[in-house]
Amino acid sequence: MPADVLPLSIKRDGDAFRIEWSDGVAASVPFLTLRNNCPCATCNDERTKPADPFRVLSAREVSAGLPVPVAMKAVGHYAYQITWNDGHDAGIFTLDALRRLGHPATPPKDLEHHAPA
Amino acid sequence: MPPPSGPGQKFSLPGVKHLIAVASGKGGVGKSTVAANLAVALQMAGQRVGLMDADIYGPSVPLMFGLGQVDQTRTPFPIEKYGVKLMSMGFLVDPGQAVIWRGPKVAQAVGSFLAQIPWGDLDFLIIDLPPGTGDAQLTLSQQAPLTGAIIVTTPGEVSLIDARKGVKMFEEVRVPVLGVIENMSHFTSADGQKHAIFGTGGGAKLAAEAGVPFLGELPIDPRVATAGDAGEPVVRKHPESPVSAAYVELARTVVAEMTKRPQANALPTVEM
Repeated sequence: MPADVLPLSIKRDGDAFRIEWSDGVAASVPFLTLRNNCPCATCNDERTKPADPFRVLSAREVSAGLPVPVAMKAVGHYAYQITWNDGHDAGIFTLDALRRLGHPATPPKDLEHHAPA
Repeated sequence: MPPPSGPGQKFSLPGVKHLIAVASGKGGVGKSTVAANLAVALQMAGQRVGLMDADIYGPSVPLMFGLGQVDQTRTPFPIEKYGVKLMSMGFLVDPGQAVIWRGPKVAQAVGSFLAQIPWGDLDFLIIDLPPGTGDAQLTLSQQAPLTGAIIVTTPGEVSLIDARKGVKMFEEVRVPVLGVIENMSHFTSADGQKHAIFGTGGGAKLAAEAGVPFLGELPIDPRVATAGDAGEPVVRKHPESPVSAAYVELARTVVAEMTKRPQANALPTVEM
């Protein structure tokens, strides 16, 4: 993604964030996708291990249910930090990651011009 | 001092127009000297200037401004010298004492310097960064509304290897690199001949690679070191020297560049 492409707005839309980018792309990033791709060191480490079929959920995980962000704050000029309903807040999602994880609802403007008629 | 919480918190510094980091990947290339002389040159050009020393382990701002450890209970920070507002770890710790801290405490100290020092209204707050791409750099990138960074390098390849990492870091955290300045470029001997003691062309090469402006060359002049050690930056002590002229030119470029650039907008607030 070019460095001058920035998010214009980020809004909660059901179980996802809808992000409008300055190049005209509007994308939806599901909460579950974000949580499954949390870039923090702990989650990165977890993903390298084989899944434990007998893992016992903690009381907090059970009561929280599906992961839902309770806050999402800008970090400098380059990222957002998400605080989840189970208290996890170590992940800092760069703009590139948010862009990569989104399902585009509209293509970038300059692509429209090149689309076959 | 309560620690500023998590990276998501952003300091606003409403009175500071431009927050500029002076950085390099490598140590010993003259970041602190460049930062101090740039700050004084900007002040001499009529700008309101602050200089924050983010090198917690090896602060050098106090020495370069003829200051040292002060009585914290009686001294209001920032300390003003030569018209420049200063803050440094060196004001708080005896120069003979080592600051033996792990990263998180460094981040905390840098955060406190930003958030808890009443900088007031400034045109420029120059930040003298330590070498590397670690805790101090990350804290600033995450918590300070940096408007730009200046990369200092010496002409040789050894310095370039690390300077490239510095450029890369600012790209990653989306802080615009204003340009590359080459320090210790050459020495002019009494017969007028230029000697490239540390190699040639590194600064211009790095600037071209990174696609950023080359801000110029700063010649080697023993008076830079003696003036710094004596507590008065060379640009003020020997304003007639060629190296001072180069600093005045650098200050002029920085002012021109900042007035030209659109203010970086903060990222949008998320609507939950």
